[in-house]
Formats: sequence, C-alpha cells, structure tokens
Amino acid sequence: MEWLTEMRENGLALIAEIDSIDSLEQVRVELLGRKGKLTTQLRGLKDLPDDERPKAGAALNKLRQEYEVLIEERKTSFAAQKEATLADGCDLTLPSVAPVTPGNRHPLTSVINEICDIFYGMGFSREDGPDVELDYYNFTALNFPDDHPARDIQDTFYINDKVLLRTQTSPAQVRIMEQQTPPLAVIVPGRVYRNEALDASHVAEFFQIEGLYVGKDVSLADLKTTVLQFVTQFYGDDVITRFRPHFFPFTEPSVEVDMQCMACHGDGCNVCGKTGWLEIMGAGMVHPNVFKAAGYDSDKYTGFAFGLGIDRIAMLKHAIKDIRYLYENDLRFLSQFRSVR
Amino acid sequence: MNISLNWLKDFVTWDCSVEELAEQLTLVGLNVEEISDFVREYPGVVVGYVETCQQHPDADKLSLCTVNNGESVSQVICGAANVKAGMNIVFAQTGALLPGGFKIKKAKIRGVESFGMICSESELGLAVKSDGIMELAPDLKPGTSIDELFGYKDTVLDVEVTPNRPDLLSHLGVAREVAAITGSLLNTPEVWSPPKAGKEAVDFTVEIEEFADCSRYTAHLARDLKVKQSPQEMINRLTAVGLRPINNVVDITNYVMFELGQPLHAFDLNKISGNRLFTRKSKGGEKFVTLDGVERELTDQDLVIADSIGSVAVAGVMGGQRSEVDEDTSDLLLESAYFNPSLIRKTSRRLQLQSDSSYRFERTVDWENVDFAAKRALYLLQKNADAHVVSNFVDRQDPDRAELNTVPLRVEQVNRLLGAEITTIEVVDILASIGLKSKLLGQASDRKSVTGQLMVTIPSFRRDIFIEVDLIEEVARIYGFNNLKIESNFRSGTGVKRRECDQVLDKAADYLTGSGFSEIITSSFVSLENVHNLGIVEGDYRFEMMRIHNPHHGGETLLRTTMIPSMLDTVRRNINADAEIPVKLYQVNSVFLPSLKLEHELRHEDEKLLPLERKVLQFAIAGKEEQAHHSLPMVLMELKGIVEQLSIDMGEQLVIMPGGDEPYYQKGLQFILSNSAGDNIGSMGLVSRSVLSKYNIDFPVSIVELDLGKFGLNVPTVKFVNYSRYQASTRDLSLIAPETVSYKSIIEAVEYSAGKLLVDVEMFDIYKGKNIPSGSVSLGIRLKFQSTKSSLKSKAVDVAINKVTERLSGTLGVTIRD
Ligand SMILES: [Zn+2]
Repeated sequence: MEWLTEMRENGLALIAEIDSIDSLEQVRVELLGRKGKLTTQLRGLKDLPDDERPKAGAALNKLRQEYEVLIEERKTSFAAQKEATLADGCDLTLPSVAPVTPGNRHPLTSVINEICDIFYGMGFSREDGPDVELDYYNFTALNFPDDHPARDIQDTFYINDKVLLRTQTSPAQVRIMEQQTPPLAVIVPGRVYRNEALDASHVAEFFQIEGLYVGKDVSLADLKTTVLQFVTQFYGDDVITRFRPHFFPFTEPSVEVDMQCMACHGDGCNVCGKTGWLEIMGAGMVHPNVFKAAGYDSDKYTGFAFGLGIDRIAMLKHAIKDIRYLYENDLRFLSQFRSVR
Repeated sequence: MNISLNWLKDFVTWDCSVEELAEQLTLVGLNVEEISDFVREYPGVVVGYVETCQQHPDADKLSLCTVNNGESVSQVICGAANVKAGMNIVFAQTGALLPGGFKIKKAKIRGVESFGMICSESELGLAVKSDGIMELAPDLKPGTSIDELFGYKDTVLDVEVTPNRPDLLSHLGVAREVAAITGSLLNTPEVWSPPKAGKEAVDFTVEIEEFADCSRYTAHLARDLKVKQSPQEMINRLTAVGLRPINNVVDITNYVMFELGQPLHAFDLNKISGNRLFTRKSKGGEKFVTLDGVERELTDQDLVIADSIGSVAVAGVMGGQRSEVDEDTSDLLLESAYFNPSLIRKTSRRLQLQSDSSYRFERTVDWENVDFAAKRALYLLQKNADAHVVSNFVDRQDPDRAELNTVPLRVEQVNRLLGAEITTIEVVDILASIGLKSKLLGQASDRKSVTGQLMVTIPSFRRDIFIEVDLIEEVARIYGFNNLKIESNFRSGTGVKRRECDQVLDKAADYLTGSGFSEIITSSFVSLENVHNLGIVEGDYRFEMMRIHNPHHGGETLLRTTMIPSMLDTVRRNINADAEIPVKLYQVNSVFLPSLKLEHELRHEDEKLLPLERKVLQFAIAGKEEQAHHSLPMVLMELKGIVEQLSIDMGEQLVIMPGGDEPYYQKGLQFILSNSAGDNIGSMGLVSRSVLSKYNIDFPVSIVELDLGKFGLNVPTVKFVNYSRYQASTRDLSLIAPETVSYKSIIEAVEYSAGKLLVDVEMFDIYKGKNIPSGSVSLGIRLKFQSTKSSLKSKAVDVAINKVTERLSGTLGVTIRD
C-alpha cells in the first residue's frame, strides 16, 4: 500500500512544519478535519476490493491516532512556551540588550588564512614580497625574455623602465632563494596588479598565493602529492582533479590544475563556462634558468612552484558573481561573512 | 586560435568523438576552451527558375516575376536590375529564414502581392556587398535546396595556444598533435613545384640590409592572374575560423597562414617601382599608409620592405596601400620571410597594430616552412586564380645562420624530475610521436633501462626546444600528467608556526573584529587631489609619491603614501548606503614611502629604486555627534579606549601622548603613539571638519594608524605575579582642580605620593559649571589600597591619603572638596 506510506510521510512533514498555534490549527483541519485527507480516504474505503478493505481501514485508523497524538504534543509545547513567555509578567521575547555587534575579517583575508593554515601544516612558512618590484625579479629572473610575447600574458603597470607593480607573486621566488638555502618551503600571499579592463571577473588589483618548494630530487610527482593534499583539505575528499600541461616561463614542465565543477559535476554549466572544469592553480617544476638567476645549481637542486588566485577561490566558495564586490568594502557585503572561520 | 575540423581532416584522421578529441588535446597541453558548431543553412531557400519577368505596373525600378520552384509557380517582386526571364536564381520562399534571422513573409509592394524574395550573395551572407541578384548555373534543377550549394557545417575548436608554441597557430600544427595522440598518419598539402626544365629567368632582386633583422626572404612572381571570388570551400573554411573572405589572392595568403602558420604578403607587382625590393630599417619620420587606410609614422627602428620610391610594407606587420592587390591586379610578388621576432614585436606594439601576421612573426615562424608555405600559396594561385607562376624565384638566406638542432637528453633526468620510471625506449617512442627523432648513445641494451642517454634532433617547427628540460616537458605531456603516480610518502615537511608578525596581526584582528570593526581592502592607488584634500603639501614626506607611467584609463595615478583617503572614502560610501552608525572599519595595507635604504643594504643595485613599503594597521570610527566627559568627542575617546585595550592585548605598553601635527586631524585633538622603545609608531586623531567636508561626511570620524612592523613584536612571556588575598580598602576623593592641570598629571601625583599600598586609581566623576569656581573642574577619583602581607588598618590608609592631598595641593593647586 504505497499510497498509504506516501500519505503518512506527507502528513508527518506537515506536522513538522508547524511553527505557531495558528499553523497548528490549519494543519489539524487539513489532516483530520471533515474535509481532510484522512476522512476522505476513510470514506473511500467502500470502493476498495473486499480483501483490501479491512487492512486499509485499520491502517488509516492507526494513522489517525498517530496524527492526533503528534498534533496534541505540539499544542502542549506551544502552550508551555506561551506560559513561560509571560510568566510573572515578564515578556522574555523582547529584544536582548545587544552587546557590541562584532565585525569580521574580509573574506579574502579569511581565504588567505585558511590556505596558509593548510600549508603551515605541510611545513611551508609564510613570506612576503614587495608590491613595487623590479622588472628584473618580476620578469627577467623568472625567465621572461625581453620583448617576448610571454610578457603579454600580463598587462603591466610600470613606474619606469626598471620598476613596476608586480603582476604575480612569483618574483618572491628568486628573492627568497637568494636569502635561503634548500631545503625550503614557502608560501607568499600578496597583492598583484594588472593593467586590465575592469569587468565582472577583472580588477586591476587582486590577490595571489605563491608556493615554492626546493630540495634534492624533488619531482613532479611530489608536486602532485602536495597539490592533492591541499585540494583535499581545502575542497574536500571527493573532489576530482586533473593536471593539464600549460606554459609559464618560470616553470618547466608547467601544469594547470583543474577541479571538476562542483555546481554541475562535470556536465558543464555557467559557473565553469560549460567545460565542466574549474581552473584552480598554475604550477610546475622550477625552470633551470630561474635557479640560475637565484644562484642555485640546477643539477643539485630541483623544486616546484605553484600559484593560486585568491579572488577566484573566494568567489567560488561564497557564490560571488562579480569580483568588484570584493573591493567595494560595502558593509552590506562584508557583514555577510561573520560566520566564516 | 580557431581550428576548423573539416580543415583539420585534410591532414589527419581520428575516430573518437569531438568531445573526446578536445579532451585529449587539452590533456596534452592544447587547451580547448570552446567547441562550437558552425552552421550555415538556408531553410526554405531553393533554386528558382524565372519564367516571366515584367515591369511592376506602379514602380519603374521593380520587376514583377513568376518563379518556378519545381512544384509550383509564385509571383515575386524583385528590385534588382539584372533579373530576367530564363534565369536560375536563389529563391527564398515565404517562411524561409535568411542569415541574421531575417524571415521571409508574404508582402504587398505598391499594391501587388509578392510571395518570397530573389536573393543576392550578400543576402545569403556569402559576400559583403553585391550588385544585383545571384545568377545560378542553368543546369540546376528548380527546387534544389540552396543548402546543397552554399550550406556549410563545421565544428570549430577554440584552442588556447601558449606563447611558447607558435607551431600550433596553424591547422597543420594542430594536426601534428592529433597525429601524436591518435597515431594517425599526417598528410601534407599539395604544393607548387618548379618545372625541371625550361626555367624562366626571374627579373627581380631582393636586398637584405641586415640578416639579423631578416634571415630569410623568398619572393615569387605570379603573372596573368585573375582576381575574383574564392571557391566556396575556401570561403566556408575562412568564415568558419573567423576570417573575412575578400578575394582569391588575399584569401590564399590568409588561408595558407592559418593552414601552415606562415604569414605571406602579396604585392601588386605593377605598383612596385623598379625591380628591386629592400628589407631595411625605415629612414625614420616616414609617413606610411597601411592597408587599413591609417597613416602611421615610422621610426628608424622599424623594419620595412621598400622599393625604389619608399616603403611598401611594415615588415611582418602590415602591407601598404600603395602596393595593395585589387580587382585589376594581374601580376603579383609573393613574399614569404622570416623576420626577427623581437623587432616585429617592438614595431607592432609601438604602432599598436597587432595583425595575425605580426602575432605569428613575434612568436617565431618556422624557418624551413618559409619556402614550403610560399609553394603552397603558389599552388593555390594556379588553381584558384589561373596564375602563371614564374619558375625561378628569389630565396635570400643568412649565410651564417647557425641553428641548434640537436639536444641531449638523459632519461635518468626525465625520471628524476617527473618522479617516474619511464624506460628509454618509451621516451624514444613518445618523442617520435611528435616528430622528434632520437639517437641512443651507448649500448642497445640501454633501451630497456630507465637511464639511457639520447641525442634528440629538433625539427624546424619546434625551435622552442633548446635544453633538456624542454624535452622532459614534451615527454611529460605526452606521457600524461594524470598518468604520473603520486608518491604518497612525500612529505614537504612537518608543521611550522606562524610568524610573529602574522600572530600580532591575527591577535589585533581578533580584538578589533570582536569590538565591532570590519576589515576592508582598499586600492594602493591614490589621486593627487585626495592627498591635497588632507592638507598634505610639498615638504611632507608623504607628498613624494611614485607615479604610474601607464595608468589605467580614468584610474588614479599615484601610489599611496597614506591610507587616510581610502578610509574616508569607504566611510562615506557606507554612510551614503545607510550603514548603521557607528561605522567601524579597519584595514591592513601597505603604503609606499620614499626609500631610506642604505647602499650596503641592497641586494640588487636597482633596489634603491624601490620604495619603502610599510604595512599599516588602520582603524576608524564614524559615530554620532556625541560628547564624552569634559566635552571631548565620543568617537575619539572611544577609539582611545580601543587602543589602550589593544595595547594590553599586545603586551606592549603603547604610550599614547597628546600631540602631533597631522594636517588632517583637528588641532589639539590628536595623539602620538610610541612603543616602549620610544619609537614613534603611529598617530591617532579626530579628522578635521574641513577634511570631512571635502569627503561630504557629516559624522565625526576618528582614525588610528599603527606601523605594524614596529608594533607588538618581541613580547616577553607572561610571568604570573601573585595577587593579594587580603581585603582592599577604597577611598573616594572629590577634587577641585584648575583647568590648566591635566588629569594625567593628577594621577601621576597621586601615584607618586600614595605609597606602595595604592593598587589602583580611577576617575568616577567629572563636572564643571554650577557651584564650581570658574576656571576649575570637579573630579571624583577612587583610590584602592591593598597590602600583600596583611589586612589594612584604616590608619595606614589615612596616612597615604594625607600624603596625596598634600602633594596635590602643594604642587598642582588641586584642593579637596568637603
Ligand atoms: Zn559547471
């Protein structure tokens, strides 16, 4: 008697939704009233075949009792609530005397902190690099030849021929290698700048996190291990990823890491641009020319580097459709992130 | 880069679905960003036969025709002059759908009904403009669908080609990758080959000024050709990949560029003066009209192609109008060359003129392909333009050109870098699949080992491969990144602790957010006007700001030396958006100050060009116009309290001293903040009314700024101090103090004189006015006494109080009220 099971579940759901004495009465009428569902069914018993009728009748009566008990319980609890509310003439439902309403961190800061925490656990320490950077560190030392189209990937703000606003957090790689000796494991969050036309997914200032690991016999498989550890901790165990070859002048081999779109599970939707995949980071093995610039022997050391776009991660996580919300600093936006840890 | 699958099929085959092909290409590094169907169809459009054609009774320029569609005859009005009876035409019947979504309906024109339309080429989307209607071959059967003649279906892949892979900017290049994936054979296109005998002399020379600028230049002559429309298939393919068909000659140069990756240029031979071309630098200051009709000024850094009069092309970027191929062209000179990539890039950027041609030249073209592509174009010129190709040609090459074409590869290094165990023979096979031949150095038995040594020959189309790691990348991408095992035992390290500066920031953020402040992130850019508005003028170190050389259109142009404008701006916008008052915000961002670095501190000599980046913690309250005790602004006193508490949280006795002369704070309502070492580390104040009015803020605003680099670091570990378990005793004193005496000095006098038993002093009341002598203030203070050794005797407290009152009246003129 499938119809009976379904009917019971629907009825129980209605009872669960009761949130006031008024809605309780409404539900009672709907379930048990003279024109209610149960009564209608009981009246319809006579149309059933002889062998089914007694069984169905018994079941319906049992259900009526169940409904009655449940509704009565709810009624009692509402009455008790009402009594407590106005006991001794005190209306405790009046507004609380509010303490200071707390503020909260910016969602980008929270994402940076969350990512850093994961990498702290993996032995990476945090470093900084300057926003205003030499062309040398931003490009030349990272194996971007002069007058090479690779530089077009990033539209650069220049102060003069030698000084620019970093277009990526990667220049910190060579700076850090100049100061430390392997093995080293660092992450560098920071603001980067691109001279791009502004739209829903582009702003001139945004945030990245760079990662660098250098040691002896560090391999691409190690990079994969690290990336997957991060992805599992940040996005969850059931995330599907893929590694796809790409090009960055300062790593070789270079990869981009994609994650299967959480919104459509790979079928393609607006979130992922119909591809079923979301690009989550660029990575690769440190290019020998970068080691050379840092004064490292690339036969002795190998390493990997990776970079993540913080804004995109925050946007995906919090379903923010337009990047500009992140920088308008409107409290109607900011205050929504109180519960972010 | 758009790739037509119909076109791709000329070179390679595959038997998987388009989606699978796209996925496979993506996984070897040719990211397919979009798969789209290119469909051109003409529902309801058929071949029609014009049975009769008369003049419209009421319009001179219209004809009244009867058109047979193979089944029935309809009356159609046509406006074209070339329509006549007995023609086969393109007939769009009522209900037909033309490109652009134009639907054919029954119409009444000047009183006569018309059932459909006779179409021109432009109405079918086959030409940009057309004179009159299209005449079809007489042998076509009326009723035949136009789709059979002009319809086209294709699938187009939009692939992301990275700057290191110019070879993929062509259908043949992509076909090579497909062949590597599928193992299919690669076809090569048909080309013109010079006749073996009876060679004609070529009456033309090319002079190359600097081989460094142009290391190869071929020039072929094609004569007696006919400029007309290209064959339909070529038009279809060009359209599918997003090019605009123009005429057979221009189309062929574009077609070959998209097919083989080599840009070509066709000059009208008869518009070239003399029989010599020069590739040389422009003389500079030269005005030159490019094909797009724009006059451009060239510098002596720009490479040009010139004849005896002057430039005929900006080399590799765009041809000139003077030598343009047009409908009357009969003879042409076909250029195929290799130009210096960075030279082309500089010119293209300076002229802000990026063409499909410059895009390829600046990424490096295939040196060997220069000749092959020319011959492909000549073949097509013969076929599509009836050209006579002169059998001899010019091929100038840099005689000293030396190209690296072998690169050694250690299989051991492949495995070391990839964390894999790929055998030598597997590596050899992988490389062979993408056209890289390798020779085994050492013994044949090494083939099965994972440590063989190879010498790999690099074909001319892969000159992005210079060093071993370039080859390792090739092995990795074909082997498949997703096929590499994950070493689960890899540990990048054990957990590390946050840096002290991050801990300080976190602690401060915890306190501030708990106290109602929300974090904002503001731009590093600032305008001069904003800084002026604060009253910061020349002479102030913050007036020296770095200027962005190429600012965003309409954007701010300076790097900020202060975060005050951004805070005020954010406060204003939130107040205007009806935010609840008080608005409490904080930010941690950098300001960019003139560098103070000394020469010996620089790691790189240019470091002195960099600013001093200071990380500043700033927080602000915009509140109601309320007053705290003694008429002090509430927002300022509240902020002072926050700073005091924050200071305790940071374990640092921040010294908050009244004073400072920040131009944007109100005079007398500001503080200097210093750390225990005495360093000035920040300021606090009430923003002056004149500054607020420039920001249109009607609420009082107080702001604090702290240099995070000098705040809260090196806090000693807390050491517990035992507290007294004996009863404390409190005494209240009512004081009358002259207004000139500060609260701070009173408290200091109390602490100085009360002795060791005093544990706390606090103010509980302040009053001025009625019953208080003018020029004085009434203060209530509460003193708390306690001993660690015993219960206090009232007498001991009396002694202390006496000392206090004596001190207060003796040194400060403060009296006790009865
Ligand atoms: Zn999706």
